[in-house]
Amino acid sequence: MLAMLALIQNETLKLLRRRRFVIVISILTAILLIVSYSQYRILRDSAKRNWRADLQERIARAENMLRRGRASASWARSIRAEIGRWQFYLDHDIDPQKPNVPRFVRTFPNVAGSLLLLPLLVSILGSDIVSAENAEGTDKLLLTRPVRRWKILLAKLITLWMFATLTLLCGAIIAFLAASVALPSHGWTEPSFSGFQLANATVRLDAVRELPLWRDALIAYGLEWYSMMAFASIALLLSVIFKSSAASIGTMLASLIGGTILTHISPDWTAGKYFFVTALPLADYYTGEPPPYDGMSMMFCITLLAVWAIGTVAIAFALFTRRDVFG
Amino acid sequence: MYNPRSLSTLTPTLIAQHLTKVIGDRTIVDDVSFEVFAGEVFGFLGPNGAGKTTTIRMLVGLIRPTAGRILICGHDVQHQFEQAMRCVGCIVETPDLYRFMTGRENLAHFARMLGAGDDDIARVASLVNLSGRLDQRVGTYSLGMRQRLGIAQAMLGEPRVLILDEPANGLDPAGIREIRELLRELARTRGMSVFVSSHLLAEIELTCDRVAIIHRGRLLRTGTVRDLISSRRSLELRVGDVPRAAGILADHQPTIEGDCLLLPLDESAAPPLIAALTEAGIDVYRVAPHRQTLEEMFIEATGGETVD
Repeated sequence: MLAMLALIQNETLKLLRRRRFVIVISILTAILLIVSYSQYRILRDSAKRNWRADLQERIARAENMLRRGRASASWARSIRAEIGRWQFYLDHDIDPQKPNVPRFVRTFPNVAGSLLLLPLLVSILGSDIVSAENAEGTDKLLLTRPVRRWKILLAKLITLWMFATLTLLCGAIIAFLAASVALPSHGWTEPSFSGFQLANATVRLDAVRELPLWRDALIAYGLEWYSMMAFASIALLLSVIFKSSAASIGTMLASLIGGTILTHISPDWTAGKYFFVTALPLADYYTGEPPPYDGMSMMFCITLLAVWAIGTVAIAFALFTRRDVFG
Repeated sequence: MYNPRSLSTLTPTLIAQHLTKVIGDRTIVDDVSFEVFAGEVFGFLGPNGAGKTTTIRMLVGLIRPTAGRILICGHDVQHQFEQAMRCVGCIVETPDLYRFMTGRENLAHFARMLGAGDDDIARVASLVNLSGRLDQRVGTYSLGMRQRLGIAQAMLGEPRVLILDEPANGLDPAGIREIRELLRELARTRGMSVFVSSHLLAEIELTCDRVAIIHRGRLLRTGTVRDLISSRRSLELRVGDVPRAAGILADHQPTIEGDCLLLPLDESAAPPLIAALTEAGIDVYRVAPHRQTLEEMFIEATGGETVD
């Protein structure tokens, strides 16, 4: 146990010295400051506007688009779900767009998860956690110390999990700080709605849950955390397979983007739902964004990610502990 | 001073038994066996691609042997990896350390893996004269300094066996001499087993007690440096009339080299030859035992391939 802590300390030191975490925090800060500023602009403009009319106009526009049949099948689903949610907010007299600090913090895991920002940051942290040792030749020393290889890999995985967790936490804190500069800070207990479901062409409202915003946020963060842990585990395998850091980061990004493209280009090929990338935006699915394929329930996505994570970690350990280390 | 005859009374600390590595249909290392004893410096020589590095990587558990086994201080590297590696410090190929960390952070990193403390870090750093530069990033080090930091790292935890690949690489003559003396010192006074590979034959000759020569994956010869060289002793005669002298000494199979004759004989055979030559009226200017260098022996053994 003590030995494992020493190994984790080593990995932490290396990760920090490589400045990976600094890069991650800088990216988060830059993006969140910009988004926070844009929210401030919306807030400033909203004083002059009637949000109800705005929302009604948007719904009308979206329905028009659907009628013209311009949208692809998966996009149409998204639009229908969105119309349903807007209608729901109209009916309940809630302005969904009104920016404040709690909403900003609440939205972060959804947006950063579904737009692949958080997976990208995990890639930066983890893609070269093993391959860099290989590329820099330090594996020859690391693996000739009196420590079994599985312990070294486990220390790397735990360190990666730790920093992925820290990334999400720092994301929340930075979102809070960035929003606090520009937006009103009250609203943690206002109702927040999630669980919208799309059935056929209409949005089912019977599954919608009403929770105080802070609890709703905790659930969203929890789901996004789970998805990041799974993604970090998958990233470890690529880092083990590839000798060069560029190859492993490249493959990770390609699979993220490729998975997204796949769901948009060929939504009819339903085998795509078994690809881990489609299950990553858990927080979004929790809120009510329809998953790209039928039959992707929350339970399905959580199980799928677990299967991928366990499978890839098992392969990573098998490869890492058995392979010959050549120059 | 080291005495080769005392070997039999010592137990070997590093034993390689019938090491074989096959990749695909290529046999890279073929039935290599040797023993390294406490208190000796053991040299490992071979041309490029001879299987030198593969053998070293098998010794330290980086590559799994296809057949054969390795015992370090009595522990099988395959099955008792942790116990075996606790007895070994090594540099494999190049002394690659974490360039983005300081020398001290690097040593601390590897010390933590051994459970060694700060005093051990200070000890190994002073051993290789690196104490003053320990807080600078390794990226700023010269190759010689990195080599020394590599050796310092290998000395952490006071291992009984030191395995060093090309320890003289990148060092200037003074540095090479320093390392040579350090290695001899470690073997002699601390009774460590030092296994070094090198392509600098003269260096091996000066540093090592025993040598193994590997070529195309097979061990050609193993023995003390003295035995390997003296088994090939010859007599060099500088004479006035080389062709006539060669004729007179034809029975001894002389080879002509410039104005000298080389005879595969010991110096005890010299007096009658000199008498025979003077009797025939041939001037003899010089008679000297020709000491074959390790390099000549090596080139002969490997069929003239360059050492690297």
